[in-house]
Amino acid sequence: MRQPILQAKNLVKRFSVGRSSSYVNAVNGVDLTIHRGEILGMVGESGSGKSTIGRTLLRLTDPTEGLIEFDGRDITSLSAKELRPLRKDMQMVFQDPWSALNPRMKIGDLIAEPLRIHLKLSEPDLRDRTELLAKKVRLSTEFLNRTPSALSGGQLQRVCIARAIATNPKLIILDEPTSSLDLSVRAGILELLMELREETQAGFLFISHDLGTIKLISDTIAVLYLGRIVELVPKEALFNEPAHPYSQSLLSAHLPADLDAPIQRLILEGEIPSPIDLPSGCSFHTRCPAAVDVCKTATPEPELIAQNHHVSCLRLKDGGNILSRQQA
Amino acid sequence: MNLLKITDLQTHFVFHDIDNYRREARALNKVNLNLNRGEILGIVGETGAGKSLTAQSICGLLRPPAKVVGGSVLFLGKELLSLAEEDLNDIRGAEIGMVVQNPKSSLDPLTRIGDQLVRIHQTHTASAVSVARSKAIAMMHAVGIPDPEKRFSAWPHELSGGMAQRVLIAMALMNEPKLLIADEPTTGLDVTVQAQILELLKDLVRRFEMGTIIITHDLGIVAHYCDKVAVMFAGEIVEYGTVTDIFRRPGHPYTKQLLASTPEKLKLNEAGSLGGQPPDLFNLPEGCLSQDRCSLASDQCRTPPPVITLETGQTVRCHFALQ
Amino acid sequence: MPPSVTHQFTWPRRTANRVRGLSRLSPTAAAGVVIIVCFGVLALFSEWFMTHDPVSSYPNRILQGPSFEHWFGTDGNGMDIFSRVIYGAKFGFGIAIPAVIIAVLIGIPVGLIAGYRGGALDEILMRIFDGLRVFPSIILALAVVAATGQSLLNVVLVLGFLDSPVFARLVRAEVLALRSSNFVESAIAAGNPTWRILFFHLLPNTIQGAMAQTAVRAAWAVRISATLAFLGIGIQAPTPEWGAMIRQGAEFMVTGQWWVAIFPGIALIFLVFGLNLLGDGIQDILDPRRRASK
Repeated sequence: MRQPILQAKNLVKRFSVGRSSSYVNAVNGVDLTIHRGEILGMVGESGSGKSTIGRTLLRLTDPTEGLIEFDGRDITSLSAKELRPLRKDMQMVFQDPWSALNPRMKIGDLIAEPLRIHLKLSEPDLRDRTELLAKKVRLSTEFLNRTPSALSGGQLQRVCIARAIATNPKLIILDEPTSSLDLSVRAGILELLMELREETQAGFLFISHDLGTIKLISDTIAVLYLGRIVELVPKEALFNEPAHPYSQSLLSAHLPADLDAPIQRLILEGEIPSPIDLPSGCSFHTRCPAAVDVCKTATPEPELIAQNHHVSCLRLKDGGNILSRQQA
Repeated sequence: MNLLKITDLQTHFVFHDIDNYRREARALNKVNLNLNRGEILGIVGETGAGKSLTAQSICGLLRPPAKVVGGSVLFLGKELLSLAEEDLNDIRGAEIGMVVQNPKSSLDPLTRIGDQLVRIHQTHTASAVSVARSKAIAMMHAVGIPDPEKRFSAWPHELSGGMAQRVLIAMALMNEPKLLIADEPTTGLDVTVQAQILELLKDLVRRFEMGTIIITHDLGIVAHYCDKVAVMFAGEIVEYGTVTDIFRRPGHPYTKQLLASTPEKLKLNEAGSLGGQPPDLFNLPEGCLSQDRCSLASDQCRTPPPVITLETGQTVRCHFALQ
Repeated sequence: MPPSVTHQFTWPRRTANRVRGLSRLSPTAAAGVVIIVCFGVLALFSEWFMTHDPVSSYPNRILQGPSFEHWFGTDGNGMDIFSRVIYGAKFGFGIAIPAVIIAVLIGIPVGLIAGYRGGALDEILMRIFDGLRVFPSIILALAVVAATGQSLLNVVLVLGFLDSPVFARLVRAEVLALRSSNFVESAIAAGNPTWRILFFHLLPNTIQGAMAQTAVRAAWAVRISATLAFLGIGIQAPTPEWGAMIRQGAEFMVTGQWWVAIFPGIALIFLVFGLNLLGDGIQDILDPRRRASK
C-alpha cells in the first residue's frame, strides 16, 4: 500500500464575480488522495475545476472550505511565509511553457532558481546540479545560457520539469503539461514523467482534458464535472467499463486516431452549464441521458462499486447509469 | 471540373532585420491539392507546417511578410491568384466560406451576432433586410443554436466557445458557399462540444454538397471525418491520398512517425525521442526537409525527393516511397 | 574562412551594418543618436574643440560680433561665446543624466512595490506622486532651491525627485499587468520571497517602457534646468551654462547683439530635439509590431 502524500477532504473553492453577489463555484466538494509513486490523472472539460484544484492543492490560491493535508501536515491555513519552505517539496508544472518562464532569465538560472532559494549551495555546486538536471530531462546543456525564446515548446517544458524536480519534491502537480505541444514531442515528455515517477517515487497529479494522454500516463483516473469527481477509478477499468454516464459520453466523444476503433457516438445535448449557475441536485442532470426526477434534487455521493472504483450516480442501483443499455 | 485545383503553390516570407537585413524563407513549397464537391479533405501537420498558410494563400488573405510567389489556385476554373482584390472580395464570404480558430476573438465584439450574419449576407446579395434576417435565423437553427429568434440579438461576449464557433460556421455558410475552409474549427473547444460541432459539419457538408478543407493537428478528426488527407511538414506536402490508404499503409516516414505517436498507438518505452525542434524556415537543409529526424535518411536525401505516386493513388514525397 | 582573419576586420563592417539597419528600422532613432553622440563628444572632449578658455574674459573685446577670432562673438564680459557654448554641453549632460538617474532610482522601486502590493500602500504612494506631478515644477524647484541654497547639486536633486512619478507610473502599470501572469505564479510556486520576485522577475520585464522614457525625460531635465538658470536659480554667472547665457544675452537682444543669446539657444534646442528624437526612436524600435514589416 503506497503512502499518501496529499489528502484533500471536501475541498470547496468559490470565486466571487465582480461586485455582484454571484460566485463561480469552481470546486464543489472534492475528496482525493495522491500516493507516493503514483500518477493520478484528472480529466475534465471546461468548468470542471481541474486547474483550480491543482492550484488550490498547492495553496497558490486559498480554499473556501475543506482540508488539505500534505505529508501528514495540515496546510489549509498556513500563511504565505510558512508555506515557502514547504514549496521545495511540492511543485507545479504549468500548461503553457512560454508564459510560465521569465522571458528575460537564462535557462540555467531558471532551473537553478529553486536550488538557490531553498538550498545553500556554492556556485560551483549549483552549476553542477543544474547540469545534472538538464541531462536528466534530456536537455542539451548548450541551452543553459540561452533565454526561453531560443527553445521550442517541448524543450521549454523540459526546463519547467527540471525546475520542478530540482529540489526533489514529494509531490508534483502538472496542469495540462503537454496540451500546447505537438504530438511528436508529447511522447518524450510523457516518457520522462514515467521515468521520474519510478526514480523519485514522488506523487503526481496529471491534469488534462485529453483522454488519450490520460490513458497513457495515469495509474488512477479521476473524472471531473462541474467541480465534483464523478468517477474515481483505476485506468483499465475506466476504459473497459466506465460507470458514470458522463465518463461514458466523454469516452465516446474522444476521437482515437484509429480507423478501426469503434465509435459509439453518444452525443450529449446542450452545453456545459456555467459554474456560476450550478444546476440543482446532480449537476450533470441537465445533459444526462439517464437523468430521472430524483436527479434534479438529490446530490449523489461517491459509492464504491469495485476495488478502488468510486462512482457518484443516483442510478447505480437500478443499472440505469449504463447508457448503451438505456438506448436499447 | 474540380472544385479546387492547387498546383505548385509557392509562398515565401520576406523579412528585414537589424543585422541581416533581407531574409527569405520558403514557407510553402510546391503545394498540390485538389478537391471536389462533397469531399472533405484534411490537412494535418505540426505547428509551423504551413497548414493555415495554405488556406490563407488560397483566399488571398496573406499579410506581409508572407507573399505568394508562384503556382496556381483554380477555383471552378478561375485563377484566384491573379484576381484583383475587389473580385476576390466577391468570392470570399460567398462562394468560399472560411471558419477560423479562436471563435471568440474572431467575432466583432461591438455588433450583435444576428446583425453580423445579416451583414455578411447583405455584402454579397442585394435583398431586403427582412429576407436576410429570416435566412440568418434559419442558419442559426441549422447550426444548432437554441432559441435563434432570441439569440439573434445576443452580443458575442455572451456566447460560450461552442456557441461562438457555431455562429462562425453559420456566417461562413450564409451565402451557401461551394467551398468551406475550416481552420482548426474545434481546437480549444471541449471534447463533448467538439463532437457536436464535427457531427454538425459532416451533416451540413452533405446537405449543401460543399467541398470542405479541415485544417487540424488532430489525427482523430481526420480518421473519422475526412475522405482525403494531406500531411504537411515544413511547408511541403509529404503525403497525400485517401484517409483509408494513408492510415493503413502510410508511405512517408514522417506520416508513419505521426501515426505512431498518437496516444492510441504509442507504446511509451519504444518511443525513443521523437520529433525535435520545428524546422527553421530560414535554415532548411538541402534536399529532403525531414532528413534530420528520419531514420531512413541517407546521402541520397540531400537531393530533393521526387513525388512518387503509389499504386493506391496516394502521392509520397520521399526517395524510398516504393519500399 | 578561418575565424582569426575575419574577426579583426569585421567589426567596422558589422557596426556599419547595424547603423544601416538601425536607420532603416527607425530613422528618428538614428538621427537622435547622431545628435546626442555629437553633443556627447563635445561634452567629453570640449578641450579639443574650444578655441579659448571659456571663463577668461577679454576686457577689450566686449560684445563683439561673430568673427574669425571669436566664431560666435563675445558676450558682455568679453568671454568667447563659442567656447562657452561648447563647454556648456557638459552642463547639459551633467544635469540631465544625474537627474534622470535619480528619477529612475526613486521612481522604479516605488512603482514596483506599489504595483505588486496594491492596497493601501499603493493608494498612498500614488496619491503622493500624483500630487507631485500636478505641482508646477518651476515653482517647486524655486521653492526648494530658495530654501536649500543655490547650487547645482540641489537643482539636480530637485529635478530628479520631480520626475520620478513618471517612471513610477510606467513601471506600476506594467507590474499590474504582469503580477498575475503565469511566470510570476510559477515563481511563487517555486518559493520565491517577494523581494526576489520584484527584483529578478518583475523588474526586468517591466522596465522597457520606463527605459524608453529616459531620453524624453532627460530632454525635460535639460529644459527645466535651463529655465531655472534663466530665472537666476541654481547656476550663477560666469558659469557657462546655456540657460544662464541666454539670460545674460536677453538683455542684449534689444540693443542688437543677438549672438549672445541665440547661439546658446540653438545649442539648447538641438540637444533637446536630439533627446526627443532618440526617445521617439526607442519607442519605435521597442514596438513589437515593427519587427515583421517590410
